[in-house]
Amino acid sequence: MEQVMANGVYLGSQYAMIALGLTLIFALMNVLNFAHGQMYVIGGFVTYTFYGQFGLPFVLALLMSCVTLAILGALIEKFLFGPVIRRSSREESTMLLAAGLAFLLDAMILLVFGEKQRGVPKIVDGVLNWDFRIIMPYDRILICFLAMVSIAAFIAFMQFSKTGRALRALAQDRDAAQLMGVNVNRYSMIGFALGAMLAGLVGGLLVTITGVNLGMGGPTSIKAFMMVMIGGAGVISGAILGGFILGMLEAVGLAVLSQYGDITYLVIFVALMIFLAIRPQGLMGKPWG
Amino acid sequence: MLLKFEDVKLYYDRVFALRGVTLDLAEGETVALIGANGAGKSSILRAITGLSKIESGSISFRGERIDGRDPASIVGMGIAMVPEGRRVFPYMSVKDNLMMGAFTRSGRADIRRSLDGVLERFPRLQERLRQSAGTLSGGEQQMLVIGRALMARPKLLLLDEPSLGIAPKLVQDIARSIVRINRDDGVSVLLVEQNSRMALSISHRAYAITTGNVVISGESRKLLNDSRIKAAYLGGAV
Repeated sequence: MEQVMANGVYLGSQYAMIALGLTLIFALMNVLNFAHGQMYVIGGFVTYTFYGQFGLPFVLALLMSCVTLAILGALIEKFLFGPVIRRSSREESTMLLAAGLAFLLDAMILLVFGEKQRGVPKIVDGVLNWDFRIIMPYDRILICFLAMVSIAAFIAFMQFSKTGRALRALAQDRDAAQLMGVNVNRYSMIGFALGAMLAGLVGGLLVTITGVNLGMGGPTSIKAFMMVMIGGAGVISGAILGGFILGMLEAVGLAVLSQYGDITYLVIFVALMIFLAIRPQGLMGKPWG
Repeated sequence: MLLKFEDVKLYYDRVFALRGVTLDLAEGETVALIGANGAGKSSILRAITGLSKIESGSISFRGERIDGRDPASIVGMGIAMVPEGRRVFPYMSVKDNLMMGAFTRSGRADIRRSLDGVLERFPRLQERLRQSAGTLSGGEQQMLVIGRALMARPKLLLLDEPSLGIAPKLVQDIARSIVRINRDDGVSVLLVEQNSRMALSISHRAYAITTGNVVISGESRKLLNDSRIKAAYLGGAV
């Protein structure tokens, strides 16, 4: 039991960060970023390149993942989503763009990083063994800790910084935020960069545990959307809650259902459909909080 | 002149909202725009703040052209707007809402002083500083958005229908605060109101707008007794 809980918290901390980035972009720009999983994969490959290949310190490689994805996110907003949103008021336009972007990024990952599964050396050795109730490698604990610190930092940033306040204002009322002097173009770009950066950061963290490969993008996007649907789209608390719930469900499923075969996600999907039929706005459903 | 409109035309989806509006506002004045729903009063405010782009004509503020600029830079020049329907940031605290008003300003101590000033003017907000703005009553929200606009320390305050959907007793309070803001703080006010009687009684001058045109203008005191205004905007009675 303790082991399942620990696994759930570990998975949930990673998932929550992915969902936070996705929900931030959605709340700010009303964009469903189907390419979020690909951004996560790129983050993984960047950390792999700098830490695994060039042998730079892990923290530095992680920083490179963040910077790369923040720049990529900013460019994507400035040259793709921004112009499309200005020209078209139809939501399908940005959805199609996001779907196309996912394919484009997949192709770029293939070109730049190749199709092989890549792993990196362990960041710390050893395994925590608490009386055989919880057995967890130290690197997982460290990654989980780093993820939680990042989530806390993100919340503090959104809550207390001037930029965070402006982003929240923009998400809640676009016109009113403009009347306060918030430059919509600039802050949309900052928000998108921040969302992409979160995806890249998780990619960089998780490459040390699971490695990274080209095929992880799509499934990661789908999981991210599930978390956001569970928690409620566009709400910070919802994204975190959704992330931890999905992590926990996955951990429980793997422990309980594995004897019946690989059906964990089948069960989760069915449960999600029933849940959404009853509560379509998700648990914390409201526009941004 | 603080604000000058010259032959401003604006349309939405090829339908004229403003058909060549010319008006002005001097420093220290309160000017009211009165008229029925859809006459174009709000379009005038949206044109000033840059939320709507004008088709032709010019808008200048302290002698500088401001049409074509983006809303953020216009706010920075000292024009703050209280939008129609209150438009608080509902999931932010009252304090964060007020701080958003000072978004274009810098200087922590200065902003702090403005905050204290606003809370002194609207003590009700002081009691609810940590509460989400969405949980306030209509009247309190109206105080909040006016306070939020004052946090920008504007030279010109634009108010769009501040009495709309507010309890009659509170309309008096709001009207009194507008007078004080103008008289005591020296903020010029451009007031859009459907409640013409209230608007004329607290403004120096007024323009009556119909279908995108200025039809009558003059001193508010005189307009209150003008037979055309009485018939069209004051409902005849009293």
